[in-house]
Amino acid sequence: MLVLLSVLAVLFFLGVTGLSHVYHAQRASLGDRWFSRGLADLNAKHYDAAVTEFRAALLYSRDEYSYQLNLAEALIGLDHTGEAFAYLLNLWDREPDNGLVNLELARIMARRGQVDQAVRYYNNAVYAAWPPGEESKRRDARLELIEILLQAKRQRDAQAELMALAANAGETPSLQQTIGEMFMRAGDYERALDAYRTILKVDDHNAAALAGAGNAAFQLGRFSVAQQYLQSAIRVNVNDTESAQRLEITEMVLRMDPFRSQISTPDRNKNVVDAFAAAGQRLNTCPLPSRDTFGTTGSAPSLKDEWIGLKPQITDAGLRRKPDLAQSAMDLVFRIERQTSSVCGPPTGPDLALLLIAKLHEGS
Amino acid sequence: MELQPNTETEVLAENGRPHPATAWILGHSPGALWRSAFREDRFFLILSVFIGVFSGLAVVCFRFAIDWSRLYFLGTGAVLTPMRMLLAPTLAGLVIAALVIHFFPTARGSGVNQTKAALYIFNGDIPFRTAIGKFITAALAIGSGHSLGPEDPSLQIGACLASLLGRRMRLSRDRMRLIAPVGAAAGLAAAFNAPISAVLFVIEEVIGRWSAGILGSVVLSAISGVVVMRWFLGSEPLFRVPAVELKNPTELIAYAALGVIGGLLSVVFASSITTLRPKCKALPKWTQYFQPAIAGLLIGVIAMLGAPQVMGAGYDYIDQAMHGQFTWEFLAILAGAKILATVLSFVSGTPGGMFAPTLFIGAMLGGAVGGAQHLFFPHLTGSVGTYALVGMGVLFAGFLRAPMTSVFMVLEVSGNYSIIVPVIVANTFAYVISRGLLPIPIFDLLTRQDGLDLPSMEEQREEDILRVEDAMQRPDGPILDGEKTLDQAMAELDHTKNEDLLVRLSPSGWNSVSKENLGKLAAEGKGAMTLASLLPVQQVPYLHPDHPLEMALRYVDRWPTVPVVSRADFRKLEGVVSQRGVLERYREFGET
Repeated sequence: MLVLLSVLAVLFFLGVTGLSHVYHAQRASLGDRWFSRGLADLNAKHYDAAVTEFRAALLYSRDEYSYQLNLAEALIGLDHTGEAFAYLLNLWDREPDNGLVNLELARIMARRGQVDQAVRYYNNAVYAAWPPGEESKRRDARLELIEILLQAKRQRDAQAELMALAANAGETPSLQQTIGEMFMRAGDYERALDAYRTILKVDDHNAAALAGAGNAAFQLGRFSVAQQYLQSAIRVNVNDTESAQRLEITEMVLRMDPFRSQISTPDRNKNVVDAFAAAGQRLNTCPLPSRDTFGTTGSAPSLKDEWIGLKPQITDAGLRRKPDLAQSAMDLVFRIERQTSSVCGPPTGPDLALLLIAKLHEGS
Repeated sequence: MELQPNTETEVLAENGRPHPATAWILGHSPGALWRSAFREDRFFLILSVFIGVFSGLAVVCFRFAIDWSRLYFLGTGAVLTPMRMLLAPTLAGLVIAALVIHFFPTARGSGVNQTKAALYIFNGDIPFRTAIGKFITAALAIGSGHSLGPEDPSLQIGACLASLLGRRMRLSRDRMRLIAPVGAAAGLAAAFNAPISAVLFVIEEVIGRWSAGILGSVVLSAISGVVVMRWFLGSEPLFRVPAVELKNPTELIAYAALGVIGGLLSVVFASSITTLRPKCKALPKWTQYFQPAIAGLLIGVIAMLGAPQVMGAGYDYIDQAMHGQFTWEFLAILAGAKILATVLSFVSGTPGGMFAPTLFIGAMLGGAVGGAQHLFFPHLTGSVGTYALVGMGVLFAGFLRAPMTSVFMVLEVSGNYSIIVPVIVANTFAYVISRGLLPIPIFDLLTRQDGLDLPSMEEQREEDILRVEDAMQRPDGPILDGEKTLDQAMAELDHTKNEDLLVRLSPSGWNSVSKENLGKLAAEGKGAMTLASLLPVQQVPYLHPDHPLEMALRYVDRWPTVPVVSRADFRKLEGVVSQRGVLERYREFGET
């Protein structure tokens, strides 16, 4: 009896196996057909249609990796991140080192403001397996990672990623431009300048690189270098008003700095007198609060009092008589510019130039 | 529930009309009888594996049939055209009605009650034609968009196959009775891809008791069915379950609210079916040709009005609801629309199951509650998917009234035990509310509407049973010590009028003796002998206070008083029971 049952079971099993082949083949064919349509719509950014078609494809092969991944991408296109996330998590469980899945998960986490999770997935994406021909996506993942780190004010992490990126970036101008801009935002002006110089080696008329290099040199306080780059940038792109303004300030700094090398005594005295006058003007337009606000104690005179007390001596003749007064006068000027800028906001024109000169000579 | 001893041998001897295959057994020695029983037990277990395999294969074919039916009726895409929405269930309804009326009248309904009827009324006999009819008509109905599910039909197909195999194997009547649930478990497990839930459901709703004799077979067949199903259709669960966690204990209040709403909705759902079904059956006979078609047409209209998700079993949409694809308002609408569509399908006599619609409604309701909770109480962290998952269990507990299965079903489907607390909380509320408002469960109501009186598993579970302690009395006379001499005992009996006396033996055991017999023994000059040496060898059986009272019935007709002793100290007498006391207690219980 058991033998008969076994034979029947085997026959039934074989019959169902045959049916199963037909069934699965039909479903695979239908799934592929809908998937192809979905891919076409996804590439055309017709996300709505693509979602419907990928869903239809998944009716026939619910676990098909590529169907789910593309559906997730279409859902992200439609801003249905919740469902996309569910699909992606499922895919991540199956292939945790898939670059694209990690990248998409990171993007969703970034959108949700979950920076730590986003960074984790971005890091996974950076070090994940990418199929041949999609290596550029690894770089894109790192760029997005740097962007999110910069937005989260995690400058050190961003700089570390940027250094890794720059090391393998080659001399592609567009990428070096992006790297330069990111180094600028990360506050690493030296490496930003290097990135722009890399571009200029290849294309010395690259307006963006010239402007970027000028800006980087400006931030580093290398105003002579900045002046050269900015002048070149404006020559290449006359509409670059930002560089023009920066050049104006740069030239002002170079012109007004009484401590620059190779300056004659009369010129230095004139600069000191002019700076002192500008500081006095700044005090008039930006009245400082009472001394206590700045934590001064005892009977220390106010900046205004100091300025009024020193003013009679800050003349060309007075400076010739007492050359040491130049240093005292400029110290007062720098203090006035610093305090007024903290009270009344960033200055413009000569006051900005004086503030930059103050920063340039900080500690000297 | 209590683990019952195997009473196979007793039943064989008592029924008076043994099966021919076992006739020789009755005429043989106890050893031969035991060997035979062992052989049948072992054969039954092996047969259970075959039943599981056959049921699994049948369920796989059933799945193929449903999917092919869906392809041809509703098309290959995920979005249905209005024409198909209207025409597919309507035309299929006409065909189904003709098939059911003319060829497969027993294919109506879900199949759970028919399996119970096979167990309790038809001695496990289910015509194989029922399986064929169920297979064809349910595949047509579900595939064409009727709001029904494949699980209950799979259960019945499994039971039918098991019954067929049992008949061919010429099993004894008692084995035949049990074979339908074995097949049912295999069918359900294969359809649901959840063996534990299937076993529990069959035990909880079909068999109604934990019996060692059947449990092994049910488990074996369920496992075999699932293995076969997974061989052909893969092992992925029915749904992609989202990450589940309960971070904030206050969230249990929201789950309790879900349980309350689910309980009320279950009552609405069940009441709608039990109210409309007799009305539809009472309509002129010719209308039965059109009832499934009209139901199909109305379901098509619901789909066209914006809820195509209600068509068919709807597992894909449960999956989507779990992943937050719908707004909570739309989920609530879907829950209501699915109730309407399922009621229409079921009361029209269309064959198909209620498991899938129940899960669908529960998932939508849970998702809606979860979505609303996010809106009004944003500090609560439970995802919509978690609520949808719990919601499925809630409706299962409230509507199908299978509380244990409902909990394990959610655990098995989710594979996550951290959800157990919300599930238990919500399911308990749903079950209690549903039971309070609708005392008779849906399956029992449907059976009674069909003119059958099957035992209600819920009533059995909830039934108050009498225990020995309820009929226990203080002993009238003194308790004699078996170590004392007859003379000493006679001295103690001077003032007692009680005729029947209990004797405590050493080191344990009890015996009884009448005062008259003691007198006779004394007259024979045996006064110096101990009572233990004078009494007959056969001792009086004893009971414990927590024993069911029916156990006392085995002894009280042979012994006038039966001792009731402590479980901790068998020599400590708690009381006695007598035939009169037991019968009086039963009479009082019957009057209340």
